[in-house]
Amino acid sequence: MENAVSVSQLVKNFVLKKREGMRWTESEVKAVDGITLSIEKGQSVAFIGPNGAGKSTTIKMLTGILHPTSGEASVLGCVPWKERTRLAKRIGVVFGQRSQLWYHLPPRDTFELLSKIYEIKQDVFKSRRDMLIERFQLSEFLDTPVRKLSLGQRMRAEVACSLLHGPEVIFLDEPTIGLDVIARQELRDLISEWNRENGVTVFLTSHDAGDIQHVARRVIVINHGRVVLDDRVSRVRRQYLREKVLSVKYADTPESISLDGVKTLKESGHAFKFEVDTLAVPIEKVMSEIMRIGSVVDITIEDPPLEEVIAHIYSAPPTEFGDDAPDDEPDENESKSS
Amino acid sequence: MSKYFYIALTSIRSRLAYLGELGSKTIFLFVVLYIFLCLWKVTYAETNQSSLGGLSLKQMLWYLVVTESIIMSLPTIATLVDQDVRTGALAMQLVRPMSYPLNMLAQTSGERVLSFALNFLVGSIIALIFVGPLDFNLSGIAMFLLLIPLSFALDFTIYFLIGLAAFWLEDTTGLTLIYSRMTMILGGMLIPLELFPDGWQQILRVLPFSAIVYGPARVFVTGDLQVFLSVLIQQIVAILVFAFVIRIVYNLALRRVFSHGG
Amino acid sequence: MNWLTSYTNLASAYIKINFKSLLAYRGAFISQMVAMFINDFVWIAFWCLFFTRFPVVKGWGVNDVITLWAIAASGFGLAHMIMGNALALPGIIMRGELDSWLLYPRAVLPHLLLGKSSASSWGDFLFGIVVYAIFVKPDLPHFSLFMALICSVAVLFVGFSVFTGSLAFFMGSAESVSVQLRIAMITFSTYPSPIFQGFVKILLFTLLPAMFVSHLTVSALRNMSMLDALYSFGGALGVLLAGIIMFYVGLRRYESGNLMEMRG
Repeated sequence: MENAVSVSQLVKNFVLKKREGMRWTESEVKAVDGITLSIEKGQSVAFIGPNGAGKSTTIKMLTGILHPTSGEASVLGCVPWKERTRLAKRIGVVFGQRSQLWYHLPPRDTFELLSKIYEIKQDVFKSRRDMLIERFQLSEFLDTPVRKLSLGQRMRAEVACSLLHGPEVIFLDEPTIGLDVIARQELRDLISEWNRENGVTVFLTSHDAGDIQHVARRVIVINHGRVVLDDRVSRVRRQYLREKVLSVKYADTPESISLDGVKTLKESGHAFKFEVDTLAVPIEKVMSEIMRIGSVVDITIEDPPLEEVIAHIYSAPPTEFGDDAPDDEPDENESKSS
Repeated sequence: MSKYFYIALTSIRSRLAYLGELGSKTIFLFVVLYIFLCLWKVTYAETNQSSLGGLSLKQMLWYLVVTESIIMSLPTIATLVDQDVRTGALAMQLVRPMSYPLNMLAQTSGERVLSFALNFLVGSIIALIFVGPLDFNLSGIAMFLLLIPLSFALDFTIYFLIGLAAFWLEDTTGLTLIYSRMTMILGGMLIPLELFPDGWQQILRVLPFSAIVYGPARVFVTGDLQVFLSVLIQQIVAILVFAFVIRIVYNLALRRVFSHGG
Repeated sequence: MNWLTSYTNLASAYIKINFKSLLAYRGAFISQMVAMFINDFVWIAFWCLFFTRFPVVKGWGVNDVITLWAIAASGFGLAHMIMGNALALPGIIMRGELDSWLLYPRAVLPHLLLGKSSASSWGDFLFGIVVYAIFVKPDLPHFSLFMALICSVAVLFVGFSVFTGSLAFFMGSAESVSVQLRIAMITFSTYPSPIFQGFVKILLFTLLPAMFVSHLTVSALRNMSMLDALYSFGGALGVLLAGIIMFYVGLRRYESGNLMEMRG
């Protein structure tokens, strides 16, 4: 299959100027340090890593905003930093922290303007807009000024904006940032649905481990500007994302818990922190055991922070590493809950 | 009294952090003084006179240094009061053991004195370069130093009143703008009162604007005792009148706070 | 030609949406316009007072100065009601907001400039036209030339704003520097030009191109001189060109990421 994105040995160095006393010293920072990857058309890829790992810098180079220090890249057959405007017609970009919606006006006006910016033919524009309105359920707030919308509604409109000109590849930079659990899930579903049904290639960055499991089929983890893992989501989940962290507060001292796959991380008074290996023991079973041993006042379940996952990857390298894992075999873990 | 002095000092100290910002404003001062130097030079030459409205070219430029410094040092009194009214901060202030108006006066005066001093310093250096030193007399400077604080106090009372209008008006920025522009034009920021049409001068000498801008500047450049006395009286009367109005309006406003809960 | 229609359409789409956006806060929009009216009027009042005392300054009468104010205000207004982002350029560059503009299939500079309308500029624009019509009472040819000169001055102001704003590509504290330069330029361009002589006059024809706003436009209108009008247009285009070059040279630095150290 043809590649939508292919990157080879991409490097981006920044010169950092620091002042020490009266002198300025220059030092080079490698934001992206030799990334090589290729993404087939229609794939959905999560590009994750902690803050400052080089995710945004890579996206900026792939969309033509930044020129690389060295290396090559091709997006839909264009070299992004050389053919930026030509490429811009064929890709869509969503920055989670930057809006293209007009704050004081309803989303409808922004759509209208975008049709002029991208020079979309009126009939094409209208039919595509109406389809997006239906799919993203925008009709209820299409004529409400953006400043009155909830963040979830805004992000839905935001993503719809970036799809209006029918891009073949869509880059999403931290699209779920700041969203609550439900809005986050809605947006993930919409993105993966769009990917499946319209064949749009999705390139999503996030520092939230949850985004990986729900949107993408393939995950690329980067840290310090390098790819540390490139694999199918299903395998990554089995190997690195099987742990959940449970914080429990009891009314009084509970009985001790003894269950395979549950580790007590911290204990102070009536509060406990457990780490659960969801492959060894279903979370449901752990929950009922926790309820059984004492009277629960408060409980939260979290994914381990991405930094920990990456530390895990370093300490336990993947068994089969590399690009040899095609995406055509079914994702056997898709339906199982974690 | 000493606590208000302390407030003023603190506000000066916090303003010192913004010296850079104040510094960049001086470029503007330079441009304005240069342009008016050119304009007045031409005007003196074309009218063939060495004195216009009783001022020589040199005095005219120094006059402008003082008026511009007064206008440019204006703190945002009305906006502060307006915000305190709207956010309810004014009601909160009432619990404190100090007078809100005096607290405001101290706070903004500290800022204004510093800003005035800086603008005046820079303006003086520019004027020294352009036209050389003024023939000062010490009594003129002494009179000027007496008028300046009263000028600021008078300006404060009016802006404070405008700020209080926030109790009744939806927006006070319009009033603030109109008053500030009237101070500029009717206060004689660019042309001294003597050069206004004859009919206007009598009225302008009674209005408070000239007591804020024209008065101190004129006394500074000429050291005229007659002008000093009349401006002093004008300032004191105006301050008393406005202080009295503030008292009435402030009490009305407080009644509103207590009956409506702000 | 294709390019021209395409960008004319884009401009009209932006003017429409900007106007709509301003009307979303009708009250604030109108009060900003009124504020500009009052602000500008102070200067007309000053000149009226000045000229009652001294009727002629180096050949300039009160009508000349009012004409000058009208052209400068309307030109500045027209420039920034359509291309309001020209004023915000240093901030946009320094906060890294150019990124969003680089993602559209449009030439960055014109598209970016169209992105915002300055509310108070609408006040400036209307003020100039009203003042010119009421005080100077022009006939049709004068009024037509006046409108043409407004466009020339608008081009010049956009060019100058882009030029000074693009300094942000090269230096960290460009925001205040570019504001100061702009204020200096506007201030110089609103006084009778003959009072400036010598070195400063050269400066005002070059680095602070105020003479193209004040000197050439007024003499063009006074004598109905098409030649002076052409010079004024030429100057405006020159400034615009300088601004464009400055911007795109700076943009290269931006694209290479050399600004990162300033943005942290």
